[in-house]
Amino acid sequence: MNKEKPKEWYKLDLSANVYPTLQRRTFSSVYRLTVTLTNEVRPVILQQALEMTLPRFPEFNVSLHTGLFWRYLEPESGPPPRVMKDVRNPCMPMKLNGHGSRLIRVYYYGCQISLEAFHSLSDGNGALLFIQTMTAVYLRLTGIVIPVGEGILDITETPPADEMEDAYMKYANSGVTPGRIHEKTYRVRGTKEPFYTLNIIAGEMSVDDLKAAAHRFHATITEYLTSVLLYALQEDQARRQESYLLRPVKIALPVNLRPFFPTKTMRNFITMMYPGIDPRLGTYTFEEIIRQIHFYMQFSLNDKFLRADITTNAQTQKNPFVRAAPLFVKDIIVRRFYKRVQDRQSSAGLTNLGVVQIPDEMRPWVRRVDAIMGQPFSARTNCAVISYGNTTTVNFADSIVETDIERYFFRKLVQDHVHVTIRSNREGSMFCSEESSETSDHTAAGEDTKCHTV
Amino acid sequence: MSYCVKCGVELDPSLEKCPLCGTPVWHPPTGEEEKPYPEHREDAGKTRNNGLVILITVFVCSTAAGCILLNLLLFTGSLWSLNIIGACIFIWLFFIPAMISRKLHTPAVLALDGCGVGIYCWIIALQFHGQRWYPEIALPLIAIGTVFIVVLNLLYRHVSSSILCTAINTVLASGAYTVIVDLLIGHFKTGQWHISWSAIVITCCLIMAVSLFTIMRVTRLREEVRRRMHI
Repeated sequence: MNKEKPKEWYKLDLSANVYPTLQRRTFSSVYRLTVTLTNEVRPVILQQALEMTLPRFPEFNVSLHTGLFWRYLEPESGPPPRVMKDVRNPCMPMKLNGHGSRLIRVYYYGCQISLEAFHSLSDGNGALLFIQTMTAVYLRLTGIVIPVGEGILDITETPPADEMEDAYMKYANSGVTPGRIHEKTYRVRGTKEPFYTLNIIAGEMSVDDLKAAAHRFHATITEYLTSVLLYALQEDQARRQESYLLRPVKIALPVNLRPFFPTKTMRNFITMMYPGIDPRLGTYTFEEIIRQIHFYMQFSLNDKFLRADITTNAQTQKNPFVRAAPLFVKDIIVRRFYKRVQDRQSSAGLTNLGVVQIPDEMRPWVRRVDAIMGQPFSARTNCAVISYGNTTTVNFADSIVETDIERYFFRKLVQDHVHVTIRSNREGSMFCSEESSETSDHTAAGEDTKCHTV
Repeated sequence: MSYCVKCGVELDPSLEKCPLCGTPVWHPPTGEEEKPYPEHREDAGKTRNNGLVILITVFVCSTAAGCILLNLLLFTGSLWSLNIIGACIFIWLFFIPAMISRKLHTPAVLALDGCGVGIYCWIIALQFHGQRWYPEIALPLIAIGTVFIVVLNLLYRHVSSSILCTAINTVLASGAYTVIVDLLIGHFKTGQWHISWSAIVITCCLIMAVSLFTIMRVTRLREEVRRRMHI
């Protein structure tokens, strides 16, 4: 008698549990990675490349299902998703309808290939491997020889089981679980755009320029860009808020845990850090901000602190009362907690996916790589940084009309002698309030003087 | 290549003005440049569930029609179908406006809900000799209750959405509403406006509101409550 093989399913990892809870018809936690090639993309070949790549990445070939106590992922055996013509408003909400509803989308436009993924599947690092491999397969199908390795996986091999592991649970074994500091921070109150608009402002700059600017302040590129964003937020708050209403300014900064804890997992393995400043203590100069961020990073980024942080996060999921609560109760509590505490803990988000590593044979065919963090949960801006070759791209994504944060951010880079090229999908809806128009009367050099005299 | 004279950034040839400050920019004519973003915007789909709207409407209408026919043809003893029709109107008014229109503001939806309750009570009053109790008790209570809920909603949305502040407003509104109920019932029975049992309720509500206000104002207490209750 033939015994039917039990149906495979995967638990959601620790952070993946949060994203479906926040899901609404108008909001999904979706991010995007784009690779710009030197030649126009051929959709038929791209579809073929997707179909060949998907079996190697089982964590992307799933649909989300709802159980009584938890959600889970089930492998999809149906036809793979179709590649689609790209749209001006990316990262649109996804429908999590169970069977057949894939949680990835692949787009093409001109020379660009874009991958959008629901955050429960994987973090940016896993998705980057997927799009790199898919692009390599696409290029191979067009007749270019691309070797395996350096960020390109072998699509003929069986996916190892440890790529699907929940690395959080593996390393959530610290002896202490530090408490969380829940502090309300400055919130950018922008005018919401009509549904569904995602405004993108992308800045392209040279890695050498950025390195030189960061080294002038004895900081890394991530520390420097985080400080520039904090500086922009501080400026924005000072202009909008009365001094007695000032709040701390913090940034939600996802940290890739893979360099600290060896794992092959392709699923989520990040934790959040909240570097920030408190303008209630007085206005910070840029030098003071970057020094504070540098020491904060030096202090916090080590395996001991990070392990303790993961353990604190995992504790909730291990709690027997939490495990016994039905899913709808968990959803209500998690969503409420996220809305009232987690989301208010930071004024903006910034992620740096680092440097894209691809084989030398592939480099002549790839012009640029972009990352977009997707629609923010509240009316604020999110910033994603990624570098390829000697080019760093900084993509701001938000659904608000105002561009004040982006303006302060890029002007500060220009002041620091970083050459920035801007492109945007905004359609003339940007808004500068009266005060900002006055500020904008300063040239970049003029603001430089202001910056140093603060 | 063109630069924004205010921001100092280089602008992509596809941009007609600086996206950071709105300053117009002129690009020297060149060959056909590839635009970095597609022109086509995708409709993210209807955010309202029209299928469910149709289903509820058909269900409510057919229930009402069926009951009218049964009342007229088979069970003709009394006008019992009016109760079902009232309930159908109430259900429709409660669910459908919020589902149909995204632009409908919450106070308007709440006001419609109040109207639904008012209509249902009126239908009941028609059958149970409500010529006096409906205008003197039911209607004022429904109207004032609706106004209170709308005001609470507006305070939540526009003044403060903190749990403590909402709790204070709710406690005070409940106390005030109890006083109104007491006054209306007293007036209906004796013809005089006087407060009796509701004085105890409003006193308790005031004590609770003052305690909550103290927690809200004292930072240490507030943080302790937030930490313990995850609010």
